[in-house]
Amino acid sequence: MKNQQVLSLAIGSLLALGLVGNAAAADTKMEKCYGVAKAGANDCGSKKAGHACAGHATMNNDKHDFVALPKGTCDKIAGGSTTESDDMMMKKGM
Amino acid sequence: MYSDSSLEPNQSLPLQGRGNVVVLNSKFKMNALHDELAEFSHAIIKGVPSSLGFVASPHYSADIGLEVYSNNYRGNLQDALAGAYPVIEQLVGADFFRQLARGFISLHGSCSASLFDYGAELGDFLEHDEPARALPYLPDVAKLEWACHRAYFATDVEPLNLARLSQVSADEYANIFLKVHPACYIVRSPFPIVALWQAHQPQGSFEINLASGGEIALISRQRDVVNVREITPDEAYWLRAVIHGKNLGMATVSTLETFPTFDLQNTLLLFASLGIWTDFTLGETS
Repeated sequence: MKNQQVLSLAIGSLLALGLVGNAAAADTKMEKCYGVAKAGANDCGSKKAGHACAGHATMNNDKHDFVALPKGTCDKIAGGSTTESDDMMMKKGM
Repeated sequence: MYSDSSLEPNQSLPLQGRGNVVVLNSKFKMNALHDELAEFSHAIIKGVPSSLGFVASPHYSADIGLEVYSNNYRGNLQDALAGAYPVIEQLVGADFFRQLARGFISLHGSCSASLFDYGAELGDFLEHDEPARALPYLPDVAKLEWACHRAYFATDVEPLNLARLSQVSADEYANIFLKVHPACYIVRSPFPIVALWQAHQPQGSFEINLASGGEIALISRQRDVVNVREITPDEAYWLRAVIHGKNLGMATVSTLETFPTFDLQNTLLLFASLGIWTDFTLGETS
């Protein structure tokens, strides 16, 4: 009985507010195109062709220096690394 | 290494690279073409010299020609990974990410014709990658990013038809089975993954306390925009029950048993505002 009231209230408010979140597909003017995605972030067209021939192409891309530690925004996250204390010790040792 | 002058067009397979042409050796007959292609793709994917006598242009050796293909292959997959995992790339930095990607690509070949399908296993890979394990939240952030990536490419679905819902009598509400949008994902973590993800969006804040505990991320999509937000354990419990095929009555009762303060009204409205309801069916009246 209580559950019935809870459901009535919840669905009643959904109907009253007319909330569905997504506009009907017919309203959507812009269709997603499979080849042009994420603002060009993942296309294999011109960007990649440029990459392939601009420097990387004739070098073996695998023989880069080994990057021992992440050097990105993870530094901004305090307490986020399990090896931070080791790094500190290494720095002290040097 | 140079081309055999007796080459006939149908016995060779010219493959156009930029500025150099690699031609498979004609001494193999047509029925060996499949084997040659297999060897050729193996050499590209593994980045190893080929034992076959590939014929290159006068300007490049066969090994350099193969390396061009090999680097294109890896470069494409690497860019596909960077496209799917922009937050991971920012977290670890471009150089470290490139190294991670290289390790991942050497273990995971591309199994789909679409690059958007590549990289699903990065989260699991990060759990076992030695230098990356220093950042224990990385695998879960990667799982969140993969969910965003899949959400972006999920099928478009019409939203819930409220006019149809309004025709259901209130006695039947408990028998409603709600359908959830294919772009909807739940990712749980013992780390504040939503805060970590949001820090890397424009105007994100880095005031993150890793000790603040876990977060449950809800990924959804409205039009072309993927939304990531934190939901509470009771909201997640109820939504999971609905996704797993419980009707509204059963999902709500079981959630209230575990979370007595669960607020169905706000939860239903929240999920509606995120566009995750697409349809409903009515079960048998009990």
